[in-house]
Amino acid sequence: MMGADQARSGRSIWTAIATVVSVQLAVLGYIVFDRVRLLSAGREIVLDVVPVDPRSLFRGDYVILSYDISQISSALLEGKPAKGAPLFVTIGQDAADKWHVSRVGAEMVVPATPEAGTAPAGKQVVLKARSDAWRSPAIGGRAGPIFARYGIESYFVPEGQGLALEKLVGEKKIKAVVAVGRDGTAALKGLMVDGKLVYREPLI
Amino acid sequence: MWGYQGRIERDLDRWREAGWLTPEGDTRIRAELALRRPRYGLSGALAVLGALLLGFAAMSFVAANWQEMSKLARLMLLFASIIAAYGTAGALFVRGLASFAHAALVLGVALFGASIMLIAQMYHMDGNPPDVVLVWAGGALLTGAALGSNPALSAAMLLACLWTGWEVALTSEVHWLFLPVWAAVTAAMAWREWSAGLLLAGVAISVWIVALGYLFNDGHAHELVTLLGLAILAAGVVLVQRQLHLPLQPQVIAGFGMAIAFAGSLALQFVEVVSTGRLIVLSALTLAALLAAIYWGFRTGMRNVLWLGYTGFSIEILALYFKTIGTLMGSSLFFLVTGLLVIGLAVVAFRLHERQEASGGGMS
Repeated sequence: MMGADQARSGRSIWTAIATVVSVQLAVLGYIVFDRVRLLSAGREIVLDVVPVDPRSLFRGDYVILSYDISQISSALLEGKPAKGAPLFVTIGQDAADKWHVSRVGAEMVVPATPEAGTAPAGKQVVLKARSDAWRSPAIGGRAGPIFARYGIESYFVPEGQGLALEKLVGEKKIKAVVAVGRDGTAALKGLMVDGKLVYREPLI
Repeated sequence: MWGYQGRIERDLDRWREAGWLTPEGDTRIRAELALRRPRYGLSGALAVLGALLLGFAAMSFVAANWQEMSKLARLMLLFASIIAAYGTAGALFVRGLASFAHAALVLGVALFGASIMLIAQMYHMDGNPPDVVLVWAGGALLTGAALGSNPALSAAMLLACLWTGWEVALTSEVHWLFLPVWAAVTAAMAWREWSAGLLLAGVAISVWIVALGYLFNDGHAHELVTLLGLAILAAGVVLVQRQLHLPLQPQVIAGFGMAIAFAGSLALQFVEVVSTGRLIVLSALTLAALLAAIYWGFRTGMRNVLWLGYTGFSIEILALYFKTIGTLMGSSLFFLVTGLLVIGLAVVAFRLHERQEASGGGMS
């Protein structure tokens, strides 16, 4: 077994090393590129953050965010999505600029991010979500709400700043700035406190 | 491997003393054995562990202290650390320090996984966590296959299991995508003829197949599990008889088949709701199959089959005992049946022993 390693010439070792390193770095680079593209080109929406149980807020140095649209009535569910498959949540903006869920289903029925202003779809956005089977009985055809996760539920904060943020979330003063891509993927851009943007991170 | 080395060396001494082996033959056999012995001893294992610890130390240090850095600087740091780990591995390979090179590869795989998680943290990504594990497993498989690293291959297998376990925990559905990933990692292990890795692969697929019984067809697919186990057992038996030289011994494959079939049969008898008649038929079939396996293991000297048979027999009897107490069959009938079975077993064992004595020797 080891003989093969030693019999290998130095050159073929370096070729293999270069291949492994470039593939792994390319994968990491793609993850960053994909995210930066979504953050810069995605449609920006502002979602209300709702307080969650303060005891479970903290796990290390990140805040767990929950939204008005995280818990969805099963009456809005259309069709029968497969377990583990992504859910597409259509949300619409009311007169007070707040977002509400209008439909949940296994397919995207309107474009995820229509051009702003093209009524009526202009006031609608589709978000891709996941739901754990054990937390959302409605997916299995039973009664109960759907708990949707959009991938924007964790916000990492600089060490020591978590407590202040926790208090603000508890007083419901926080809104999240979210970018939505064409496929409905959501990404956190930053947080707003009392209408002012705080924690907006640079893209790179 | 080490167990085999120790055994063969004791046997060689004995054979030489008995005069069956010429001194020249003895020397040649020992020379070949020395070639086969992995030059991957304690120092290599410790180096791998040390590399893992270094990886974790670096990552927690960075995660705790990098608020001051720009995102670009953090990314550069991650990339540089990966390049450094693999570069060190290359330099160590060229100098012939293979075991330390393998440790550096493990560090590279660990840094790759840590980088994915730190990038996710940088951009507040909170998607489907198992996806991260799958990408990490892919990186480990690439390192293992391209650079011939057994530790990286075992990491790939363990990460694939974590991925599937996580998906199943989230969806409660059969995770079919495990199969191609398992096959890819197993193929790399078989190509390297790494028997310990293949053993790990066997355990992984066995657990997946047994879990199939509880997930597929609304959790009632234990017949399928039993049949799959019997098919693997049959394949193992055929391979044993062909006496092929495989990276994983055929008797081990047969053992996995036995274990899977027995787990499926146990679920059919004791997890599913069964009528008394069906339970009697199933348990009689299972006990007969286990006795046959014990007989086969004894005759061929395959210890793993023998011990799996004994263990299975005990579990089956115990499970029947708990199931029948206070139910229709009643405990007296239970003791009658098991008593007869055990006496039957004793008779079989006695006959076998006589036969072994007659043929002179046999296994201890």
